[in-house]
Amino acid sequence: MNKTPLLKIKDLTVTYPCGPQGKDEFKALDQVSINLNAGQIIGIVGESGAGKSTIGKAILGLLDPPAKVVNGDITLLDNPLIGLSEEQYTSIRGEEVGYIYQNPMTALNPVLTIGEQVIEAIEANTNMRGKSAYKHAIDLLEQSDVSFAEDRLKKYPHQLSGGLCQRIVFAIAIAAKPKLIIADEPTTALDVTVQQSVLQTLIKLSKQEQVAIILITHDIGVVAETCDYVYVLRNGKHIEQGITSDVLQRPTQDYTKSLMASVPLIEKRLHRFALKQQDNAEDTSRGLQYLREKEKTESLTKGPILEVCNLSKIFITPSSMFKPKDLFTAVNNVSFTVNRGETVGIVGESGSGKSTIGRMILGLEDITEGSVIYRGKDLKSIIDNKERQKHCLSMQCIFQDPYSSLNPRMSAGENITYGLKAHKLIDGNKAKSLAQDLMSLVGLKKQDADKLPHAFSGGERQRIGIARALSYRPDFIFCDEPTSALDVSVQASLLNLLKDLQEQFSLTLLFVSHDLAVIRQMCDQVIVMKDGVSMEMGTNENIFKQPKSPYTKSLLSAMPVFNP
Amino acid sequence: MITYICKRLWQSCILAVIMSLIVFLGMYVVGDPVEMLADEDWTEQDKIELAIELGVDKPLHEQYFSFASDIVKGDFGTSFVYNRPVLDLITERLPATLEIALLAMVIGLGIGIPLGIFSGIKSNSRASKVISFFTTVGYSTPNFWQAIILIMVFAVFLQWLPASGRGLTNSMFGIEWSLLSIDGIRHMVLPAVNLAIYKICMQQRLAKSGTQEILYQEYMVYARAKGISRSRIIRRHLLRNILIPIVTITGLEVGGLIAFSTVTETIFSWPGIGKLLLDSIHMVDRPVVVAYLILITLMFVVINFVVDIMYAFLDPRIRHQK
Repeated sequence: MNKTPLLKIKDLTVTYPCGPQGKDEFKALDQVSINLNAGQIIGIVGESGAGKSTIGKAILGLLDPPAKVVNGDITLLDNPLIGLSEEQYTSIRGEEVGYIYQNPMTALNPVLTIGEQVIEAIEANTNMRGKSAYKHAIDLLEQSDVSFAEDRLKKYPHQLSGGLCQRIVFAIAIAAKPKLIIADEPTTALDVTVQQSVLQTLIKLSKQEQVAIILITHDIGVVAETCDYVYVLRNGKHIEQGITSDVLQRPTQDYTKSLMASVPLIEKRLHRFALKQQDNAEDTSRGLQYLREKEKTESLTKGPILEVCNLSKIFITPSSMFKPKDLFTAVNNVSFTVNRGETVGIVGESGSGKSTIGRMILGLEDITEGSVIYRGKDLKSIIDNKERQKHCLSMQCIFQDPYSSLNPRMSAGENITYGLKAHKLIDGNKAKSLAQDLMSLVGLKKQDADKLPHAFSGGERQRIGIARALSYRPDFIFCDEPTSALDVSVQASLLNLLKDLQEQFSLTLLFVSHDLAVIRQMCDQVIVMKDGVSMEMGTNENIFKQPKSPYTKSLLSAMPVFNP
Repeated sequence: MITYICKRLWQSCILAVIMSLIVFLGMYVVGDPVEMLADEDWTEQDKIELAIELGVDKPLHEQYFSFASDIVKGDFGTSFVYNRPVLDLITERLPATLEIALLAMVIGLGIGIPLGIFSGIKSNSRASKVISFFTTVGYSTPNFWQAIILIMVFAVFLQWLPASGRGLTNSMFGIEWSLLSIDGIRHMVLPAVNLAIYKICMQQRLAKSGTQEILYQEYMVYARAKGISRSRIIRRHLLRNILIPIVTITGLEVGGLIAFSTVTETIFSWPGIGKLLLDSIHMVDRPVVVAYLILITLMFVVINFVVDIMYAFLDPRIRHQK
């Protein structure tokens, strides 16, 4: 093996000025060193804010101003990279180092054809021009497993799926046969089956062409499947490094250990994630009491609380200037039953119609066909407005994106109680103390009720969202990918919280996720969906241990396996 | 596509009818054309005869219906003042306005967009701040004042350029154009620049804010990561994306320039269509005003239609909208 490393990063420190007049600085990276040889795949893992992407951008001189490198060296084959001019970098970018961007849909320019974007990269980084560049583009796409290559070159990014776009970004990265590829979260935006094939292509490339790859990711499963060597970062600091299997299975640092404990496993269902119990000094009893005061109109016997019968949803796009009317069947004849106190999970890839089902149950989306029977009553049959309101208030929702689902101009407390106030279920004086009680119940600080949402982290915001849903004392909560925007450790603690709440109040949850491992940990019953059709339905153990449908099997086999 | 065009046409017909009603009523309220045209020594009998001749003796709704049915036949009526077909009057004047309007728009886009992109990319530089200062001033001082300053500097003090009239014209396709003679172009410069100042400022601001927004999109960073040259990134990746809002505004602005360059045309005595409108309103020359405004309405409909098509051309996402 080559003794001099291909890429050498030594004591790299990157800072952002912050505070008034930029006097303070925030260290995005703090004394990080990395070595990489040809043909090696290294993983850089960490949670958001760890500075993973900053490494990739620093190598290519793409740091957004005002960020700057204050210390350290980056050398590529003994040539220093720090301090090059934009022109000098142009000859490195694309030619020596290929870059695969996190989100393929936003990395490609929406108004230019795929062909133009591939060919401009070829012409910029190789000697090929015109016809030969066009031929090379077709070759590259075929190498990257893009079918109908010639036809795809004429298309625009929005006409292709995320997976195809990612493969095109991939084709651009290998256009000039670079020695190093930086892949920044290359599979985060993709479904598991697509993720699998993208990772396979990366591995193939490093084995056959001796390309070195830096894989930046937060997904431990991906690292376990792909990387030879791994670096763990946290808040810009180097925590641990080593051979992948060593670091993942025998972590030596506390942070790495807790990170590993947070990863949801697909192999077996745990009761809770083994996180350190945080001392919750806050008094949660009043919040608990509020939730228990629920009118006992119905007995809490086990039995179906929700029945979904032959539910279908067809979206109609009206005709426009360039297109005739278009019909799209999002949900096709789906039926299932949810028992009181149970968690039912709907799992499927993007576009499978899983969220649409939940939205129809809540009445956020009109039902095209079929019926939703909740607490023995079909929503459509209720004519009395008061009764309908009562009916609807006991169904609540936790939304996918904690950043956009809270009103940014209302304080956390107001966000939790404004719905109650609108329905005159509580008067203004009590609202504030209720918000505080609920906040301590979901693990937030009471005194933070007056802060605006932007002062909270993503995980904390999602807790506010949970508190808001709980404020109605619901029987049923629809959780629409509640943790998909969050880091694994945050996800683990939120899932623990949901489980605790469910045990205490016999809540019924409908849990939608694309993440099989999360569904495995959370749900009693599982429904697997594809293209609006329910492929398979069964208990957690049955689906994960003896899947019957070939689609479920393919999903399960595509999941990256991580076994600590 | 065809249903869309039909829908558009139907909407514009309704718009034209409403427009003509409003203008017809408005002009009725403004004054009596007979009083404007009559000499002081006319008798009542003379005035009545004139009224009958012009057709203004009938009730208003009858006047409107005879006017409307003539329009449907393609006859826009006869001017009270000039006693000539309105359409002739308008088509005679239109080329003069088109000339300076289009020249002004070309200057506005040609200078405004590059300035805007530059100040968007180098938004922290001193040059960018100076540019933005001047465009703010240009945007907020009144048009007529700018015209007077232009005349003072270039026509009076420096005596480089003529301050009024159209100069020599040459004919092409049977229409007289100032663009075709050196003297005509010299006459065009000041009014066109006067109209263009406002457009330069507007385009600079639009292009600047567009650039600052697009510059931080991920595909711009990714384009750099691909190793493409800077000029290509600006030409293909940036320009194409900022053009969409610019096209919208430019469409409306072209319409505005053609229809309402009245102030500039008056100051520079440019014999365009705007000056015709002003004179006609003054003389209560109802057929001219009504026909003019109906034509303008139709022109805006056409411009908006062209803008919609441009959108689809510029942004494939609109073209393939599901």
